[in-house]
Amino acid sequence: MTILEKVTALLGEGAVLEAGTDRVPRFAPGSPDAVALLLGTAHQEGWRVRIEGAGTWLQSDAPADLALTTRRLDRIPAIEPPDLTATAEAGIGLDQLRQQLADRGAWLGIDPPGLAGRTLGSVVATASAGPLRHGFGPIKDHLLGVTFVTGDGRMVQSGGRVMKNVAGYDLTRLQAGGFGAFGVIVLVHLRLRTLPRADVTYLLEGAREDLTQVGEDVAAAGLTPAALELVSPALARRDRWVLGVRLAGSPALVAADEAGLGAASGGGRFTPLRAEEAHAFWMRLAEGFAVRPVTFRIGGVPSASDELLDLLQHQLGDEWISASPAAGSIRWTGEASIDRLQRLRRTLAGLEVPLTLERAPWPLRSAVGHFGAYREGVGPLVTGLRRTFDPGAALVVATEGE
Amino acid sequence: MRLLYSMTAPSPLARDLAAIVGAKHVREALAARVTYAMDGLPTHRRVPDLVVLPGTREELIAVVRLLAALDVPFVPRGAGTGLSGGALAGEGTVLIVLTRLNRIVRIDRANRLAVVEPGVVNAKLTAATKPLGLHYAPDPSSQTACTIGGNVAENAGGPHCLKYGVTANHILALEVLLADGSLVELGSPGGETWGPDLVGVFVGSEGNFGVATRITVRLTPVPRAVRTLLADFTSIRTAGEGVSAIIAAGIVPAALEMMDQSCIRAVEDSVYAAGYPRDAAAVLLVEIDGRNADAVVAEADAVADLLRTAGARTVRTAASEAERERLWQGRKKAFGAMGRLSRDLVVQDAVVPRSALPDVLETIYGIAQRYGLVVSNVFHAGDGNLHPNISFDATDPALKQRVEAASAEIMSTCIAAGGTITGEHGVGLDKLRYMPLIFDAESLGAMQALRRVFDPEERVNPGKVVPVHACREWASLARAS
Amino acid sequence: MREGKEGRGGFEGLDACVHCGFCLQACPTFLATGDEADSPRGRIELMRALERGDLTASDPALAYHLDRCLGCRGCEPVCPSGVQYGIGLEAARQRIAEARGVSRLARLALWALTSPKVSRVVYWFARGFRATGIPRRLAGWGRLRFAMGMLAATQGGEMRTKARKVLSPPSPALLFRGCVQQGLFSHVHDATVRTLGVNGYQVGEVKGQVCCGALHAHAGLLDEARALARVNVAAFGEGDEPIVVNSAGCGALMKEYGHLLCHEQGERFGARVRDVTELLAGDAMRGPIGGAPLDMHVAYDPPCHLLHAQGVAVPPLRLFAAIPLLELVSVPGAAECCGSAGLFTLLEPEMSRAVLAAKIERLRETAPQVVATGNPGCQMQIGAGLAAAGVATRVRHPVELLDDAYRAAGRYE
Ligand SMILES: Cc1cc2nc3c(=O)[nH]c(=O)nc-3n(C[C@H](O)[C@H](O)[C@H](O)COP(=O)(O)OP(=O)(O)OC[C@H]3O[C@@H](n4cnc5c(N)ncnc54)[C@H](O)[C@@H]3O)c2cc1C
Ligand SMILES: Cc1cc2nc3c(=O)[nH]c(=O)nc-3n(C[C@H](O)[C@H](O)[C@H](O)COP(=O)(O)OP(=O)(O)OC[C@H]3O[C@@H](n4cnc5c(N)ncnc54)[C@H](O)[C@@H]3O)c2cc1C
Ligand code: SF4
Ligand code: SF4
Repeated sequence: MTILEKVTALLGEGAVLEAGTDRVPRFAPGSPDAVALLLGTAHQEGWRVRIEGAGTWLQSDAPADLALTTRRLDRIPAIEPPDLTATAEAGIGLDQLRQQLADRGAWLGIDPPGLAGRTLGSVVATASAGPLRHGFGPIKDHLLGVTFVTGDGRMVQSGGRVMKNVAGYDLTRLQAGGFGAFGVIVLVHLRLRTLPRADVTYLLEGAREDLTQVGEDVAAAGLTPAALELVSPALARRDRWVLGVRLAGSPALVAADEAGLGAASGGGRFTPLRAEEAHAFWMRLAEGFAVRPVTFRIGGVPSASDELLDLLQHQLGDEWISASPAAGSIRWTGEASIDRLQRLRRTLAGLEVPLTLERAPWPLRSAVGHFGAYREGVGPLVTGLRRTFDPGAALVVATEGE
Repeated sequence: MRLLYSMTAPSPLARDLAAIVGAKHVREALAARVTYAMDGLPTHRRVPDLVVLPGTREELIAVVRLLAALDVPFVPRGAGTGLSGGALAGEGTVLIVLTRLNRIVRIDRANRLAVVEPGVVNAKLTAATKPLGLHYAPDPSSQTACTIGGNVAENAGGPHCLKYGVTANHILALEVLLADGSLVELGSPGGETWGPDLVGVFVGSEGNFGVATRITVRLTPVPRAVRTLLADFTSIRTAGEGVSAIIAAGIVPAALEMMDQSCIRAVEDSVYAAGYPRDAAAVLLVEIDGRNADAVVAEADAVADLLRTAGARTVRTAASEAERERLWQGRKKAFGAMGRLSRDLVVQDAVVPRSALPDVLETIYGIAQRYGLVVSNVFHAGDGNLHPNISFDATDPALKQRVEAASAEIMSTCIAAGGTITGEHGVGLDKLRYMPLIFDAESLGAMQALRRVFDPEERVNPGKVVPVHACREWASLARAS
Repeated sequence: MREGKEGRGGFEGLDACVHCGFCLQACPTFLATGDEADSPRGRIELMRALERGDLTASDPALAYHLDRCLGCRGCEPVCPSGVQYGIGLEAARQRIAEARGVSRLARLALWALTSPKVSRVVYWFARGFRATGIPRRLAGWGRLRFAMGMLAATQGGEMRTKARKVLSPPSPALLFRGCVQQGLFSHVHDATVRTLGVNGYQVGEVKGQVCCGALHAHAGLLDEARALARVNVAAFGEGDEPIVVNSAGCGALMKEYGHLLCHEQGERFGARVRDVTELLAGDAMRGPIGGAPLDMHVAYDPPCHLLHAQGVAVPPLRLFAAIPLLELVSVPGAAECCGSAGLFTLLEPEMSRAVLAAKIERLRETAPQVVATGNPGCQMQIGAGLAAAGVATRVRHPVELLDDAYRAAGRYE
């Protein structure tokens, strides 16, 4: 029997999708149990499995015997506006989830890079936060729990639906940013906010150094923007660097911050955007990172932001960059060789700055790895985790480079 | 292994440890060891075989390496304020006390971070950073006593974690000493991870994965404007409804705490009397903070309106910093004041969805009434994190049985409402029996397997957190070396 | 002693402890060693084990850790459950003293410092030696040199003047003289009499008074303490004049004579006892009368037996407020014990110095001109520590400063 036949027998016709251009059979299990069944079988049979979400972010090019997509895991079992929590399956598109939340007056404070239909599971697995991390923290801060299926088909729950939870070890955080190396996320419990009643964006164009200074002034003035993002000219499609400030929350707070913003920038140099303009600006930022071949993020201390931006420009050229200076995180996208990326990662590691490769074609990804240049003792732990949560190495994930 | 005690002739292990840390800092006498038999929850008791108090990171490393070479299990301990029996070491186990590792290594004002040794007391870190306009935001009520290492291990929360997040949200990097004596560096000062989020995995691991030897924490600016409200209610239910109303309105106060009548009275009888109305069924302590005084006042007014609508008898605003301080001291010392009610205390730490609070609270007091028991509840209402504590006298066996039955009923009420068994105190020894109520065998097995990645022989803090008998066994895969 | 309600000799005061740990950071010995066995909570555990019989009073490790308690009661005011640590401690110490007797050193010290005949000679020699200036020059950290520093620290200004009467008719008060205070700090008694005189008190002397018994009580010799207490109660009679004490340690025990003796007469005696600063400040906290300006930086170091045991916090501050220009500098951790604790400094020198070292370090950083503290032991301990560390700061009793200010204001003849 071929893999296609076996899996069809196991999960039914409904789970079979058309293969991609590389002819790898593709399956879309319709429930968490079906995922467990499929991975359990793959483990026994020694099949190698590529995990896909909607396929809008990572290229579907990992060599594998079959592809598992979560796109039929698209239910939202619960949205609880009074509790500000929701439970959603991992394959739900972020745009759909956001819409349904908005209908109930709720909001998810994340804006990861990628196209609108990107799945929730992929956002969690890659822990890719966008500009909103400035105000609302990294992806992991929005998670209350996850259910995942290990590489050998075991279904594991961690966390729950409540705001605080320290029952048992934190497997949720292992999955957030695990790039699927420790299992396939099937269900996510989320922490929500109420839909901001006021949400405005201001832009300031200028030389990078000046904008960095303004950014620091804004932070020093104690303003609490939802996002404070420094964007390179190419990415912003402007002549100069742009500082985007997003204020979201209660009208009173936003009004107070608007007043403070004028003061911090030396008198109203910021331009307010109309709602559609603002939407387009932030969309462009997110989508920009899904079109060029290589995207990575790095994270240093805030005071090193300038130096890190210089380093990126120097080593990789002036490409598409978006940075949250106060959070110390920078995202870069463009074209880069294996060699350059490896060299950059080593240089950064010397500065205590990790580089996480978010997207790249398989040859580059497998050579460089999502992670690498670990600190002392981390390598053996990652290997141990891999062996524990995917003992047969069924999941094809380029965790570490060669 | 059994270590023998004698004042005159120390055991070989004690002698070897003394060679590392000095004889003064090894405790082998029974009298010294019994003082370590409990943490903040005296219902569990275990006397360690030996107690060692290293004074430097290097000594600590040498101690753990020696124990690794001899294959001796050990338990790290901070201030021993834990409320789940996590810091207890039983027979054959050495207790490593970290209180002497209490140096603040570095404060980086520009990047808002500090590097500390694990024994630094939470409140002392904040005191040291206050002059720079910064503070360490997680503020467990025990903050004047507990250590940052213990906070990391328990993923401690606190009143202000409603807005600022729990310990896990404030730890950037960790240096961890594993059971085999090797050091690993997790996370980076910028908060980005080297691979999977091992900092996140370590925080809350209850000292089961290794010893945190150096901790890089995020510091948060001290808010410029603060308003503190005290609302009092004549019924528990309406107080619960007040909480739900605030959350549903999308307001995120810095803190939102509830105290019931029995608790109010214990505090009012103590040196920390805060002027809470003794006749109230419950009070809510709500704090709004932010940068802008006008916005804070506007939000505080909105909260006051919501509370009055929900049925608050009075809503009062702290008029001065001194009054605010007093209102908070009363809240933070409330647990300590429970000793006024009776000799023994069952401490619970359940979390429920916030909209369920009014119903769950009513049910809990109903249960207590049925069993004829006194429940005192002082808790982080904004997070739905309840502490329905039962006071009793353990010398009465019949009473003890009733208390246990009532506790079990309270716990199942919370679980049925979609809640969990512990929100901040951890599982330790105390909640082991509840773990199978919320996790299936596979998930418990996964936790056990995760632990073995860090500590293949389960030598650090053995027997805690995961009830081994309830686990589905996973292949034991040691860390690659 | 305290034949408490349940007849548990004082141990019942420990029942309320819920093990919360709030007292840990308030305990100087825990801060010095980080050891739970040197903490209030740990010691409570030991005392409970002693009461239950799990540990015996002759257990050397139990005694070791209880001996290392300063008895400063810094742990009491922070305890939300109101644990009566001091009462429990005395009960435990009595049991230990019964089991192993009182150490020879403690006996010797009590004999030399408190027995009427011997101590008179001892103090006479001590004063003579002090006058040579040798102790000041020899002061240091070693056992003997520290003792030199302690003796040097007892030196006062030699001013023999009297207060002019200002208010009439004056109210009567009776002075408690004590042993060390009388032997080495008679200048403080003089200042007490003069400053009270300015503030409308006629201070009378009482014959037949003896040592308060506190040192004995702390050493577990409760019966001897009671004997002394009885003598004092008899000597001071049944009047209602306040009994003024300027040694915080004495005052703390004397206020508790009722408890110690378990009789009403003791209770009434205790109710009459006032720290000198309490009398000067007055019940309404309006006093004392102002003095002339003294341009100095003063750090106030509240004695544990005044602050924690007697709960007297504000009155001493009123004294400083009565002196214009005097600037009170705040020293972190001022309210923590200095490690003196009666005979403790003699019997547990290692722990005592460890506790003191932290305080001296902070005083060195803040560098006040004068440290003011109202207890002879603390004056000697801090003085010796400062001398050993080569810090020029002097230690004085608060009434001495007020006395200086009154003299400068020309209030004395
Ligand atoms: C009155 C009172 C109020 C409290 N209020 C709160 C509250 O509001 N919120 C809250 O979350 N908790 C609260 N607690 C619980 C307790 O204070 C916290 O769990 C605290 O984090 C424990 O810190 P500790 O230093 O006392 O740790 P310990 O009790 O000594 O140890 C706790 C656990 O941490 C481990 N551990 C300690 N140090 C290390 C280290 N360096 N590396 C690895 N493991 C280590 C131990 O092995 C043990 O398992 C309260 C406790 C009391 C008594
Ligand atoms: C470290 C230390 C700590 C101490 N702590 C305390 C304490 O907490 N409480 C306490 O009470 N004592 C304390 N003492 C002092 C000591 O215990 C007694 O005060 C001492 O025993 C007094 O003995 P005596 O009064 O017989 O001495 P003597 O000097 O021989 O005096 C004899 C008696 O005459 C009285 N007297 C002396 N001169 C006069 C006078 N001019 N007019 C009238 N009467 C006079 C004295 O008050 C005394 O009653 C401490 C001593 C030391 C060394
Ligand atoms: S503060 Fe009081 S109740 Fe808490 S441990 Fe100390 S003595 Fe016990
Ligand atoms: S009396 Fe002083 S030394 Fe003794 S336990 Fe209390 S605080 Fe510590």
